[in-house]
Amino acid sequence: MTLHLCSLLQLPTGSTVSIHKIEGINPILRRRLADLGVLEGVRIRLKGKGPFLGPITLECNGQLFAIRRKEASRIEVNLA
Amino acid sequence: MSAIALVGNPNTGKTSLFNTLTASYEYVGNWAGVTVEKKIGSLKNGAGKLIDLPGIYSLHPLSRDEGVAAQYLIEESPEALINIVDASQLERNLLLTLQLLEYGKPTVLGLNMIDVATARGIHVNSEVLQDRLGIPVLPLVARTGKGCKEILSLLGQSADIPPVRFKLHYGEIAEAAITSIELELQPMKDLPNHRWIALQLMEQNPVVLDFLKSRMDIRKLVKLGDACQSELQRKNLALTLPQWLRSVRMDYIRSLCLEVLDRADQKPHNLTERLDALLTHRFWGLPLFIFIMYALFKTTFDWVGGPLSDLVDGLISGPISEGANSLLGFLGASNFTHALIVDGIIAGVGGVIVFVPQIFILFLIISFLEDSGYMARVCLLMDSTMERMGLNGKAFIPFIIGFGCNVPAIMAARSIEQPKDRMLTTLLMPLMSCSARLPVYALFAAVFFPERQAFAVLSMYVLGIVFALILCKIFSWLLFKNESSVFMIELPPYRMPQIKTLSRSTWEKGKGFLRKAGTIILAGSVIIWLVSYAGPGGFDVAMDDSYLAKFGGLIAPLLAPLGFGTWQAGSTLVPGFLAKEVVVSTMNIIYHAPDTTGLENQISQVFTPLSAISFMIFILLYIPCLATVGVIKKETNSWKWTFFSMGYCLVLAYTVSFLVFQSGKLFGWS
Ligand SMILES: Nc1nc2c(ncn2[C@@H]2O[C@H](COP(=O)(O)OP(=O)(O)OP(=O)(O)O)[C@@H](O)[C@H]2O)c(=O)[nH]1
Ligand SMILES: [Mg+2]
Repeated sequence: MTLHLCSLLQLPTGSTVSIHKIEGINPILRRRLADLGVLEGVRIRLKGKGPFLGPITLECNGQLFAIRRKEASRIEVNLA
Repeated sequence: MSAIALVGNPNTGKTSLFNTLTASYEYVGNWAGVTVEKKIGSLKNGAGKLIDLPGIYSLHPLSRDEGVAAQYLIEESPEALINIVDASQLERNLLLTLQLLEYGKPTVLGLNMIDVATARGIHVNSEVLQDRLGIPVLPLVARTGKGCKEILSLLGQSADIPPVRFKLHYGEIAEAAITSIELELQPMKDLPNHRWIALQLMEQNPVVLDFLKSRMDIRKLVKLGDACQSELQRKNLALTLPQWLRSVRMDYIRSLCLEVLDRADQKPHNLTERLDALLTHRFWGLPLFIFIMYALFKTTFDWVGGPLSDLVDGLISGPISEGANSLLGFLGASNFTHALIVDGIIAGVGGVIVFVPQIFILFLIISFLEDSGYMARVCLLMDSTMERMGLNGKAFIPFIIGFGCNVPAIMAARSIEQPKDRMLTTLLMPLMSCSARLPVYALFAAVFFPERQAFAVLSMYVLGIVFALILCKIFSWLLFKNESSVFMIELPPYRMPQIKTLSRSTWEKGKGFLRKAGTIILAGSVIIWLVSYAGPGGFDVAMDDSYLAKFGGLIAPLLAPLGFGTWQAGSTLVPGFLAKEVVVSTMNIIYHAPDTTGLENQISQVFTPLSAISFMIFILLYIPCLATVGVIKKETNSWKWTFFSMGYCLVLAYTVSFLVFQSGKLFGWS
């Protein structure tokens, strides 16, 4: 299987991908994401980008949530 | 008497169920982290106590409210648990359920929000779920009360809830470690389920670690966990032990969900998608938020609240005052009693009661926002601004609640994860203009800016937010060395608030105001009137010779540079610390005004538009009220920070009022 990796932030709005790696983000945030089931291997959808370089909205397992762009850029996803 | 605890993920409807089962009115809202304290109620059928806990995702707490729930489960011992899960989000919710089953107490699974799941085409087979987990599973709609009867009758015989026999196998390596830890725990008494303790220990749950540390030497236990972890790493099974346990649970949940969930015709959340496309739009989102805030104030002051307040005012100054006058005359009351009741109590308390309609309408709109799901979106919209100021967008939920009252708002800050962010939010809260300050603005705006009342009042609120943002930047730079903040917020689906919930939560908030009117404001009015009636020269002195005038006169010179250096203005400030409403009560008493129009006339003679602005700003900023000081102390657990919050407010209020008044004078305004 070939991997097409990029950061979550580089995706166009509306795309659904699977998470390849979550690395280098604040441990508190990492725990929170894990609480919502945002982990390696899980499908995630980019719903929208907020105003003024604000947070981006994501959907995972039917739950909507938002995180900052800086952190989203540390989530590596697999386009394939 | 037995105690049964409600446990579950945030925003799944625990408090809604609690309210129905115990006939109470605890705080319900559509975001994660509404309940921040343990709440106790009695079950309607007398079967025991029900405990409502803050929502948690796992037993490993991050924020303070989650700590409350985790602590409760470890230190106190409920007879049984009701685990509330959101049927439309089953997979995520079950992760906690497994840990609760390991806790080993009799558990009932409340499958809530069945209506939402059905509407989204998600079907949960509760019989299979019940069979696999081995505990009773009851479908519920907590909001309408559907299924509550079944829960009540089940709890009626809480001894009948079968003990839990669920056991998940974590693989040979982990199971070996669990067994040896259990062995070490054997001599200990009064511990919850040992297998559960062992598992939580292996997951490095800080609450369990601390709890055990206080009772035994845990070095050996930790070593067992470490050994297990190295073994897992050596076999390439997982990087860490907690990760391993989690993945075993997730695997189990996935296979369980395949059996019980039917998502064949799952639909997206249409309403939420459409509303979000508009309300969190990258360009219109913020302007819409500002417009909603403007509409809030416009409704409160102009469209609905104002006219209603005028009605109440007419009632108090007309029939009630006259009625009291003639009744007192008829009873032959002494001059003293007569003056006390009419000039003290009716003027003081009545002067505040006039604002009841406006305050209730403000609360109604805030309750609507809380229950709609919009609050979480506001956090999202404000985050980039807040990030620049060194805080995070989540602070906006407490801030908006603070427009109603600062006390619950400071409590709401508990759900903010980072201690530094929570501290900043708490410290800045007094700058959020609460409903108690509203009568002052309403009064002055009516006198000096009759054409633009809502705008004048709105600018006070905006000013409070602007100063909060500026100080936030300064504080986070000076006190917290610009420590970075994290942000993540769950966005719940929008829900149409129910009339029942709305009226209840409005009443619960407004009740506090009415209670204050009957206690602090009443007592304050009597005392203020007494010291205005008595003076060094005896009773019934001219007001200018009263103790109140003497006392206000001491402060007045300090206030002269701010434009309101009269004893009258000065004497309102100290009682205003008890409750901000008393500022208006005191004015009513001092100016002997028969009604609001009378008071407005008096005020227009003593204040100029410029000094009025300066006074409004001063009242906005000058000090957190007594109740707020109390909760700041409780939440920060430090007198230093409590005094700091009072001190910076005073300095800020003085400086800003000074600058506004003096520069206004320079420009030739008056
Ligand atoms: N449609 C629907 N909405 C519900 C149901 N139960 C609760 N709600 C709504 O869900 C939201 C959250 O309810 P709460 O009772 O505050 O939830 P909670 O679990 O106590 O939340 P936290 O205290 O934050 O953990 C509110 O807006 C409720 O009106 C239900 O069965 N169906
Ligand atoms: Mg709750």
